[in-house]
Amino acid sequence: MIGSVLIGLFLLALVAGMPLATGLGVASIAVLAMAGFDQLAVPTNIYAGIAKYPLLAIPMFILAGMIFERSGVAIRLVRFVTAMVGEWTGSLAVVAVLVSMLLGGISGSGPADAAAVAAVMLPSMIARGYPKGFSAGLIAASGSTAIVIPPSVAFIVYSVMVPAATVPALFAAGLFPGMVAALCLLVPAIVISRKYGFGRDYKAERPPLGKSFIDAIWGLLAPVIILGGLRTGIFTPTEAAVVAVAYGIFVGMVVYRSISFRGLFRVLVEAGELSAVVLMIIGIASVFAWAGNTLGIFDAAAKALVGLHSSEWLMLLSINLLLLAAGMFLDAISIFLILLPLLVPIAIAMGWDLVWFGVMMTINLAIGQFTPPMAISLMITSRIAGIGMEETFKWVVWLVLAMGAGLALMIVFPQLALWLPGRLGYL
Amino acid sequence: MTTESPLHDAETPAPYTIEQILSGIVMGLIVLITFGNVLARYFTSQSFAATEEFSIALLIVLSFLGSSAAFAFDRHIRVDFFVRKLPPGLHAFIDWLSFAVTASLFAFIAFYAGKLTWDQYRFEETSPALGVPQWWYTVWMPVLAVALVLRLVITRMRRRA
Repeated sequence: MIGSVLIGLFLLALVAGMPLATGLGVASIAVLAMAGFDQLAVPTNIYAGIAKYPLLAIPMFILAGMIFERSGVAIRLVRFVTAMVGEWTGSLAVVAVLVSMLLGGISGSGPADAAAVAAVMLPSMIARGYPKGFSAGLIAASGSTAIVIPPSVAFIVYSVMVPAATVPALFAAGLFPGMVAALCLLVPAIVISRKYGFGRDYKAERPPLGKSFIDAIWGLLAPVIILGGLRTGIFTPTEAAVVAVAYGIFVGMVVYRSISFRGLFRVLVEAGELSAVVLMIIGIASVFAWAGNTLGIFDAAAKALVGLHSSEWLMLLSINLLLLAAGMFLDAISIFLILLPLLVPIAIAMGWDLVWFGVMMTINLAIGQFTPPMAISLMITSRIAGIGMEETFKWVVWLVLAMGAGLALMIVFPQLALWLPGRLGYL
Repeated sequence: MTTESPLHDAETPAPYTIEQILSGIVMGLIVLITFGNVLARYFTSQSFAATEEFSIALLIVLSFLGSSAAFAFDRHIRVDFFVRKLPPGLHAFIDWLSFAVTASLFAFIAFYAGKLTWDQYRFEETSPALGVPQWWYTVWMPVLAVALVLRLVITRMRRRA
């Protein structure tokens, strides 16, 4: 009874379009009142939920991502990758995917990555005859791999909620599946471009490889610094993030001179607000999780669900469908906060590796970010392209299928995710 | 509903609210303290790790400050997919309900966070790392929750006018 109030009230508020934090808070307070608990649990859990050292990495990675977006790194990466790939039918589609992958190694947020690539690449793709719908869809899809390719804010949240999976282990585990997911997109991108001859009649001078490499080196070094620092154990994730911020400020303000002091403050305010949104949801979700756990609601639900599914594969399929549906409506971090209290007991009961499970969830949510009818990344790239989201649908179907194949690969061959962290001694 | 909406009004910068200015400063402080920590640790092999306590308390301050503008200007994460399909009258009503519930929730949080702070003050609780009174950190929750409610109400009244 109490359990259905908790879930029911929350879902009601969610469907009614209330802010996620509001829905979580109202449902938790109602349940605490019904169970006769002291409401002091609300501020206590909000404080304890937010005031955690590992969470410091979230505002820092969000800030680093935003600084690199504004620093002009994206356009230099595009030039460098174009110099490598060359100009042929469908070449710009390949460039878009590869640049998104590289930027994903700097920023930890899919929609932000997609926005940065779209701003730089959409004009040239359209000029070369790629349809707006195709370009916006492809950039949304490849940008969404940013939450799988380290560094990833989603992995940090996962690690805070599932301490058995450390941030370095998750980052290492996400690297290959993220790259595989992005490379899977190349298949439909190239096939479709060749079939319709996108960019066939356009001949442009290829940027010189050496010069464009030197131009892009500052951006290319960012993932090396972040991941290398983590790997060598010099930095904790929070420290790696703040070093990335300092490096980004140096590149943006000193090397490229594209960020002014005023611009820097604006980035601080905007990154602060976005971080606050995430942190407030984390804080209130921890009241929600505390109420649900203390009252045994999630355990009971998990047990019921495990009992309902006879086979492991059926369970896995149900979870993936649930995640895909949830991923269309919400971002990965919010979904982790809502669903992990329920899904982790299931994963443990099934004997699944929690690092692998985290990567699987994240790829699935990445797919949700560009799956119609409601997709955060698609919405952003369509807005930048100046088209309705519907125009992307006929192209995006193929991209969803392609990345779904990548997800299936990773589920069937868990070593794709687990080999690297095992090799590095993180497991 | 999107997590990235601050991005697209970069072209027409609206004047900052007080909370936005403060949240920018808090972000800067977190960067400085954390980066200072890294530098201190590698160059002097001394740690002022106790300052972590400040940084994580600043996370609380940041959450409330930043959420204030995010709630007021409808940039907090929400799902508007279903509501948009409703007739305008009902949509407006649900919009108003969402405002009322959010404002009440934070008024509630302000009250109980105030009670928590008062308890910590009364029982002279001290913080784990630095040993300073715990209420120095906690007090920002009720104060900023009240500010958040005020910002919500003011924005709503301006919109009506």
